[in-house]
Order: sequence, then C-alpha cells, then structure tokens
Amino acid sequence: MDYLQLGSYTFSSRLILGTGKFSNATVMLEAVRASGAQLVTVALRRFNREQLADDLFSPLRALPGITLMPNTSGASTAAEAVRAAQIARELSGSPFIKVEIHPNPQHLMPDPIETFEACRILAKEGFLVMPYIAADPVLAKRLEEVGCTSVMPLGSAIGSGQGLATAEMLNIIIRESNIPVIVDAGLRSPSEAALAMEMGCGAVLVNSAIAVSDNPPAMAGAFAGAVDAGRKAFKAGLMPKSSFAIATSPLTAFLGAKV
Amino acid sequence: MLTLELNGKQQIVPHGSAVTDLLSIIGSVDNNVAVVINDRIIRPDKRSTHQLQEGDRVEILIFAGGG
Repeated sequence: MDYLQLGSYTFSSRLILGTGKFSNATVMLEAVRASGAQLVTVALRRFNREQLADDLFSPLRALPGITLMPNTSGASTAAEAVRAAQIARELSGSPFIKVEIHPNPQHLMPDPIETFEACRILAKEGFLVMPYIAADPVLAKRLEEVGCTSVMPLGSAIGSGQGLATAEMLNIIIRESNIPVIVDAGLRSPSEAALAMEMGCGAVLVNSAIAVSDNPPAMAGAFAGAVDAGRKAFKAGLMPKSSFAIATSPLTAFLGAKV
Repeated sequence: MLTLELNGKQQIVPHGSAVTDLLSIIGSVDNNVAVVINDRIIRPDKRSTHQLQEGDRVEILIFAGGG
C-alpha cells in the first residue's frame, strides 16, 4: 500500500479536510465521510453558550478513523501560536498542529519569521508540526531542518480559488524536500488537486472548495478521486514532454506505399 | 460571590466554586472544552478540586470549524 507517513502516523488518504465554512455540522460530517479524509483540521474558539452547535469535537470524535489536526489560527505571534498549540493538544490529545500565523486579514499571508520561531519551539516540544507557509523553498528547507513533519505551502491565497498560482515554487520545494509537501490553500477544483499530486505533493489540504460548493459531500468525493488519480499518476511516472510530435502509429508501409 | 473574567466578560459565581461548578453554570460539557486560568491549563482531572479565586481570568475553549 501507498501510505502517507507523518511522524509515526500512517494514512491511506492523501486528502486532508478543513472543517471551516460549512453551512452546518451535519453537512461537514457527510463531507468528511465522503472525502475519506483521515486527518481533519479544527480551530480553537472561545466557548459561547449561545452557539453550542459550533462545538465540533463530539461529532468528529464519533467518526471512526479520524485524527484531528488543530490549527493556530487567530495567533499573530510565535508565542501566541505556541500557547494555542499547547491548549489544542490538551483538548485533542493529538500531536498534530497546523501552525498558521497570519497577521493581515486582507491577504492572510503567513508570517515567515513568527512561523519559523513557533515551529522550532513546537518541534522541540514533541509536536508533529505542519506549518502553513508561503511557497518559499528556503523557508521550507529551514523548517525541515528544525524538525517539522511536513511543510504546507499555499497554492494561492486562502479561500481565493486561484489554484496552483505558485506551481513553479512548489516544484522546487518538492524537489528539495525530504518531508511530505502538502499544498494548503487556494485550490478550487479537483483537477488542481490532481495536478498537485502529479507534481509530487504528499497530500493536499482542501476546505473552501468543498465547503462552499453546492453539494459539499459530492465535491468531497470528487476531490478524493482526483487526489487518488493524481497520486497514482505520479507513482506511475508521467511521460516526458517533447517540443515535437512523436508518432504513436507507424508512418511506413501504408496502403499503396511504394517499397 | 466571586467575580471572574470569563472569555473576556464578567461572570459571577458562588464562593468556593470549583472549575467544574463554573462549567455546569455555563452549560458546557466538561470533556469537550479546554480550560485556561490565568494562563495555566487546568486538566480535566484537576477541575473538580481547582477552586476559583476573585479576579481569575478564565478562558474556556472549544474546537470549532477551521481550515
């Protein structure tokens, strides 16, 4: 079997699902099931007695085979992210943490300096650290060196649906990395997820494209199929590109040809 | 009575209340929340014995949807 290895964890699914933006918890759970995802992100929020339906912990815990990956969204410094990670681990019991530090809500680009510092600390504390980063090959390598389990460069801005705008940089990161590269953010269509997998990504993390579609469970299934197809194509090895036509049928000995 | 700061808002609880009493007052499920008091995480097994003090800053957190 072709498993995704993250720390000591192995996953048969290479589609990681975000749980934000769904219209309600029932639809989200149906999408999780349809996606086959085994790793699912959640966010820490203050308890609000007026919004008890916001609590996704019980319903997600009831699903078999799901590991939670809390994120640090809301943190704008390394110290805040480390604190959020510690609290999240206490609640989830999961060693996974998606480090997400974006100080500017206008573009949600991750802060590379605070992210690096948070990851360095959290890796030492034994977390399986999965940082959301810009598609920067130098930063990706530095994060690998301080013990991150994966790097998660953005395909394009969070929720933008602009797809793999960073494809050239992603190719460099994939080529240079010894840890799984997971495209996180910006994907809109299953074909983009398939392309990311064909490029050699270890997995993709999808949220908005599924959550805001007209039929999230159906779209989750579509992404699952695309991720699987892209991974199989990568493993099979894509044919080389050529500037010229290379015939697939014999061009000689046609009917009436002079020999 | 004690006055606490709960998730940034004022909350009044009886003297001698433990964390579990506060959780039941606000209607939360004990094992579905993280509790942080004055920046210290209070684990579930300590919540019935950890008594709240005047002016405590209490954060009660859940997992909500997020990408």
